[in-house]
Amino acid sequence: MFNFDWLSGVSQETAKMIFLSLYALIGILVLLLPTEYVYEGIAKEDRHWWNNLKLWSIAVLCILASIYNHF
Amino acid sequence: MLAGIDYFIVIAYIIGMLLLGLYFKKFVNSSEDYFLGGKSLPFWAIGMSIVVSDIGALDFVGVSGQAYRYGISVGNFDWVGSVPAMLLAAFIFIPYFWRGGMYTIPEYLGRRYNQKVRTIASVTWILFFALDLGVLFWASAVLLNVLMGWPIWISIVATAGVVGLYTYFGGITAVIMTDVVQFVIMFIGGFALVFLSLYEVGGWDNMVDKIATMGPEYRNHFDIIQPQDTKSPFPWTGILFGLTFVMANAYMIGNQSIVQRCLTAKNEWHAKASMIFGSALKMFIPILVLFPGLMAVVVHPGLADGDQALPMMIKSILPPGLVGLMFAAFFAGLMSSVDSLLNSTATLFTKDIYEPFIKKGADDKHYLKVGQITTLVLLLIGVATSPISSDFPGIYVAIQTFMSYFQGPIFAILLLGIFWKRTTEWGGLSALVIGIGFAVYLNVFKEQFFTIEDPFLYISWWSFLLGFIINVVVSLLTKKHTEEQLKGLVFSSKILVENKKL
Repeated sequence: MFNFDWLSGVSQETAKMIFLSLYALIGILVLLLPTEYVYEGIAKEDRHWWNNLKLWSIAVLCILASIYNHF
Repeated sequence: MLAGIDYFIVIAYIIGMLLLGLYFKKFVNSSEDYFLGGKSLPFWAIGMSIVVSDIGALDFVGVSGQAYRYGISVGNFDWVGSVPAMLLAAFIFIPYFWRGGMYTIPEYLGRRYNQKVRTIASVTWILFFALDLGVLFWASAVLLNVLMGWPIWISIVATAGVVGLYTYFGGITAVIMTDVVQFVIMFIGGFALVFLSLYEVGGWDNMVDKIATMGPEYRNHFDIIQPQDTKSPFPWTGILFGLTFVMANAYMIGNQSIVQRCLTAKNEWHAKASMIFGSALKMFIPILVLFPGLMAVVVHPGLADGDQALPMMIKSILPPGLVGLMFAAFFAGLMSSVDSLLNSTATLFTKDIYEPFIKKGADDKHYLKVGQITTLVLLLIGVATSPISSDFPGIYVAIQTFMSYFQGPIFAILLLGIFWKRTTEWGGLSALVIGIGFAVYLNVFKEQFFTIEDPFLYISWWSFLLGFIINVVVSLLTKKHTEEQLKGLVFSSKILVENKKL
């Protein structure tokens, strides 16, 4: 049990899909955050798409997913 | 090994760091300036500082060595082992700590659970950091001794003098701003080695083809996901459960030296952005530390000790001038780790031990002085204990193992503390004590329980799980906290939309 033997039947390809699904799930959760919350600390007139932290996070997750997809 | 130009680069780097760090002395007028940079720093500086303090010279050598032996799966630590945890920290934990005006993670645990939990967590971190300090001083002295020919004790005193001076006077602002320069140097030195190594092996595709033909032991060298039954320390189950779910979160959310940097941000957006920016930079770290190890498989096949991979690559590939830059990058990694340890330990001691137990209610200048004196005392302890590393060569690994005992249980109580109102002080305390005890037990009897080479990822997961269960069970059996006690300490959807002040 301690060695996760019960997951020995899971192939490397399936395991990779589990990781990619995790990134997708995190991405969805980030998108669900209220926009007001991710801009908190920036004055309303200074809020632009480039300081939207949701976009930053999605970009980072996309790069991460592409690395796992490639290797 | 170094040429004249290399000496010049290294010495110019050391003097430059000292002057830059001392420049920030003029910004320190209160304990908040010293420990939290007056809450005035921008996200980009904090993000770079998080990344550079996370990677030391020992990691450069160690990760390259592991990449030589196990392949690209070592990169999991900087990819899946960082990014998801940093996003969780950015959007959930950091805003709570930042809005609550906290200085330390144990301070949150003290408010959420009780003083005992705060003290246990704080003392454990202080012990770990103080021990680590001596090891890092020794490592930097060995580097200076081998490459510059300086005697060990002069090297130790030189490192302690330079880092100690700017950390003593400039506090965390000096630590973070010198980290920015160290980050740039580390990246320039690291990428120079990667590009020249790639040229040497005839490009990426050529390297992959060559390694693929080197025998069955290299069959999985380019598989980032390793099978569950691999003998390497990185099966995908350990990466998912131990690293992604536990160790990464415990490190990014529960590590004082990481979180304290985010608390220096000038506002909440910068605090969150620093973590996300840091996660983007983190994805480049494997290129710097892992790729040279992979390329060494082609350039220097059959090395008995994988940790020789990086030094061999530097020796055989880099021209004079770049060797000095690479050495400055090593030294930058060491200095950024040492200054982080000094400032974080001084913060933990002043805020979690001195203020509540030794002198309550003193004026702010007093605590500023205590923080500075603690930095000085830690320096002396670090210098005095550094020779232990030569008597016990495995001490660095032993310290890291000691930390892995702590990671699972600490993350269990942080997670439940912030997400579950019903968690009680007794639940947290028993989870911490029993969880750490269980991790120690699993490590002592690891041959009986585990089949892989070094099961630290599995130990983290199982000690986390037990800590989690103990916390839930004991909390349900003990008296719950009042709404007043929990105000501003437990996650509520309100924080996302309206609860700006906790």
